[in-house]
Amino acid sequence: MAGTASVLTDNSFLSRLDQRLFSIEKILVLIGGLAIFSLMVMAVFSVGGRNFFNRPLSGYVDWIEQIMPLIAFVGIAYTQRVGGHIRMDILIGQLKGRPLWLAEFVGTLAMLILMILLVWGSWAHFQRSFDFSVPMWSRDSSIDIGLPLWPAKLLAPVAFFILSLRLVIQLWGFGRAFATNAAHPVAVPLIEDAATQAQREAEHVSGLEEDSK
Amino acid sequence: MTTIDIGLIVTGLLLLMVLIGVRVAFAAAMAGVIGLVWVFWSKKGYDPNQFFWALGVAAKTAGQVPHSKVSSQALSLIPTFILIGYLAYYAGLTRAMFEAAKKWVAWLPGGMGVATVFATAGFAAVSGASVATSAVFARIAIPEMLKIGYDKRFAAGVVAAGGTLASLIPPSAILVIYAIIVEQDVGALLLAGFIPGAVSALIYGGLVVLMATVNKDLGPSVSGFTWGERFKALPPALPIFAVVIIIICFIYNPFGGDAWGTPTEGGAIGAFIIFVMALLHGMRWGQFKDALTESAKLAVMIFTIIWGVLIYVRFLGFADLPGAFSDWVTSLDQHPMIILIMILLAYAVLGMFMDAIGMLLLTLPVVFPAVMALNGGMDVTAAESAFGMSGWGCAIWFGIIVVKMAELCLITPPIGLNCFVVAGVRDDISVQDVFRGATPFFVADAITIAVLIAFPSIVLWLPSLLLG
Amino acid sequence: WNVSLWGKRRAFTEHVERLAELVNEKTDGEFTLNLSYGGLSNNRENLDGISIGAFEMAQFCAGYHADKNPSITVLELPFLGVSSLEEEIEVSMAVYNHPATQKDLGRWNATLLMPSPLPQYNFVGVGDAPRTLEDFEGLSVRATGGIGRAMETLGAVPNSMSATEVRQALDSGVVKAVAFAPHAHMSFGTIESGDWWTTNMNPGTVNCPVVANTDALNSLSDAHREALMSSIPESLQHYVDNYNNNTMEKWGPALDERGIERITYTDAELDEFRSAAGSIAQNWVEENKAKGLPAEELLDLVNSTLAN
Ligand code: NA
Ligand code: NA
Repeated sequence: MAGTASVLTDNSFLSRLDQRLFSIEKILVLIGGLAIFSLMVMAVFSVGGRNFFNRPLSGYVDWIEQIMPLIAFVGIAYTQRVGGHIRMDILIGQLKGRPLWLAEFVGTLAMLILMILLVWGSWAHFQRSFDFSVPMWSRDSSIDIGLPLWPAKLLAPVAFFILSLRLVIQLWGFGRAFATNAAHPVAVPLIEDAATQAQREAEHVSGLEEDSK
Repeated sequence: MTTIDIGLIVTGLLLLMVLIGVRVAFAAAMAGVIGLVWVFWSKKGYDPNQFFWALGVAAKTAGQVPHSKVSSQALSLIPTFILIGYLAYYAGLTRAMFEAAKKWVAWLPGGMGVATVFATAGFAAVSGASVATSAVFARIAIPEMLKIGYDKRFAAGVVAAGGTLASLIPPSAILVIYAIIVEQDVGALLLAGFIPGAVSALIYGGLVVLMATVNKDLGPSVSGFTWGERFKALPPALPIFAVVIIIICFIYNPFGGDAWGTPTEGGAIGAFIIFVMALLHGMRWGQFKDALTESAKLAVMIFTIIWGVLIYVRFLGFADLPGAFSDWVTSLDQHPMIILIMILLAYAVLGMFMDAIGMLLLTLPVVFPAVMALNGGMDVTAAESAFGMSGWGCAIWFGIIVVKMAELCLITPPIGLNCFVVAGVRDDISVQDVFRGATPFFVADAITIAVLIAFPSIVLWLPSLLLG
Repeated sequence: WNVSLWGKRRAFTEHVERLAELVNEKTDGEFTLNLSYGGLSNNRENLDGISIGAFEMAQFCAGYHADKNPSITVLELPFLGVSSLEEEIEVSMAVYNHPATQKDLGRWNATLLMPSPLPQYNFVGVGDAPRTLEDFEGLSVRATGGIGRAMETLGAVPNSMSATEVRQALDSGVVKAVAFAPHAHMSFGTIESGDWWTTNMNPGTVNCPVVANTDALNSLSDAHREALMSSIPESLQHYVDNYNNNTMEKWGPALDERGIERITYTDAELDEFRSAAGSIAQNWVEENKAKGLPAEELLDLVNSTLAN
């Protein structure tokens, strides 16, 4: 099961596009990380407020439910760029050259079609909760303190749209690799064998260790 | 064609997509959307003019799932638990744990191996991720073992197997995922993991001692640590116990009196304490940013599988496949326990090729109702059930067994991730060496699973004592 | 038709179960309602599913998402003075039949068929029982939405948590009292740890209608539609009988078995509660006028229906 992949870069237009999008994705995933951190801060306020001031955080559950989509969605394109969405690559890992690029192209195309359908579906879900003509533009609200739900619902189609952009770049990359029979194509996640992957994972973790000394 | 037929065909398509390398989350979502289109279109008699209507209804039905399913308070434990693990490295807890365990048990035959098992178990109490645990201990424990003449396969196997404890001993992301999919109490499942995790660690430890006693070349004992050194090694590791106790106190107060809050709050407060410790230990913004990015990436990966699989599950609801499968399983002319064991064997085979979280998410929506039906249903009493436990008990017990099965898949060839990670850290140890070294631990795991099946009270005692 | 419910079969879904039986009988199995408990949708997205056309009938609660259905939230206001399930049905149907309500639900392509009447919520709590208005000062309670706001006006401190965490929160002292209808007190286990129950505080309830997809309803043959619509009164009657005879029958003994003290407030105290919470109805009117709803008219309708 692959959890990471490497992406090559060069000075081509495609690669520059890839890197430009990657810099946006990096900011988004960090926002997701900060959202995780905010869960902790909220718990401290909730528990502290309850125990020391008899003043629990009003709508604690509602706020958690608002933050969860931020954590779950905004990093989705980043995770695709770095090959973080798991898959079984026993079979596809055996392929090399053109057959591999073709297989990857088809798989990526299928993903892109799916994501376009989901952009449509999740946008419709957002739209049902949004109405310019009412206060807070809200047609759907949370159960306890009535927070408008449309901002959280909007995150899904936006994140899926960015993922679709990422998939278009990868589709282009695999298509070009197939056309030119490239050995080392840019802008696409390359399969690493399990050992290389593990090496990277291990380096990352031990990097953490050394840093903290 | 009935909806059940559609359900079976689409499920076949899903397995095919996973097999040829489509990313699991998206394969599941795609199968779900295709299935929904099919079901809605079939309602209109496959009228070509109605195809786009069916496509629209399917896309909109599927499009609700991501937001609706991830907006859950219980799921918030997953990113929290992941972040706890990353922050624990910066807080210096890993090495402290190993040093303390070493000074206390290294005098045993294979003592450093036992120390590694106990240290991984202790670290498991703050880490939710098995692979990361193995990677860290491959770095810390293996060099020390090799230095004093341990067999390298043996040392590598201990680390790979020890890492698997992280998912059983809470906090555990995978137990939370199980709880959410089968709609059971998260707190009860987390509590249920403690004793089986400890039992697993003891069985691993016993196995290490036994092997080192039989074959003196595997791992010599180390003596000479004074009691003074032993006690001095404890305080740096204590924060782990403090955090564990705090998390427990939010579920149930063992000192009598009120618990301190809810599991959700407990997880988050535990993470916050480790965050403060990491700051005191010298963590800076760059490292914190790294921890945030890595946690967010892992959380997104897990959440994407969750909503992807739930789109497929939504389709299953329209096709009523889980109902049909559990009717079929309960109609089999076999003792329920035999069927359960067949199901577990199927998990063992599947686990050789699949990732633990993906495997559980893909199978549980169909398998869980069937297991519950085998036992006699959700509301059955212990006396009338097939496995001798109430519906609630069976749900918890099966969760622990299945997570243990998923852990086993981390050390079985050909795709045992923990083994790859250990080999990745050490240039001098090949993947084959690690698999060879980990083999005795399959036996230990099989024994553990048999013990948990024979004595369900090991799983159920703590949750029913504290919550029942 | 596919019908989207949630949880499992219980007193709260008996009218839909009965409706399915009756329709099946009357049409000789030509028209069937397939009840699904949670398989087709999340409970908070049932209106979305109706609007998309993913299923034809669903149950939901107004309080899950006030902004989706502002009109029927009038029925969830505190201290309305509803005293029986029959009255709850009557007042619900009056609001459901109001053109503004029909327009409000029309946005979701939904037609209101019938309510799922629940008795008024009351508190089960631990520790010293609140015997007077002052005793609520600083009391931490689990009460969401309108009931939570009402309790706030009495000086209580509402906490939010999901229903499944309630029992533990009560055990652990995170909250001292929990508001539910009796069946929920029994199923979420609050009575296992509770010491007292307020018999007549009646701070409101949730309103959970059953709706049909309007297009699907209109495209039914006359015979099928007749079979459906004519079965509604009998289904509701079955629901009420079941709730009163089976659920409430268990409730008294359940309290006695556990030695739970019944706290009953005098009329004077209840009037005090009501006046303390009086501004809530007014706020509701203001907020919903802003949403373009004839809010005053709806509130008057509720009050006049209950006065008769
Ligand atoms: Na753990
Ligand atoms: Na494996």
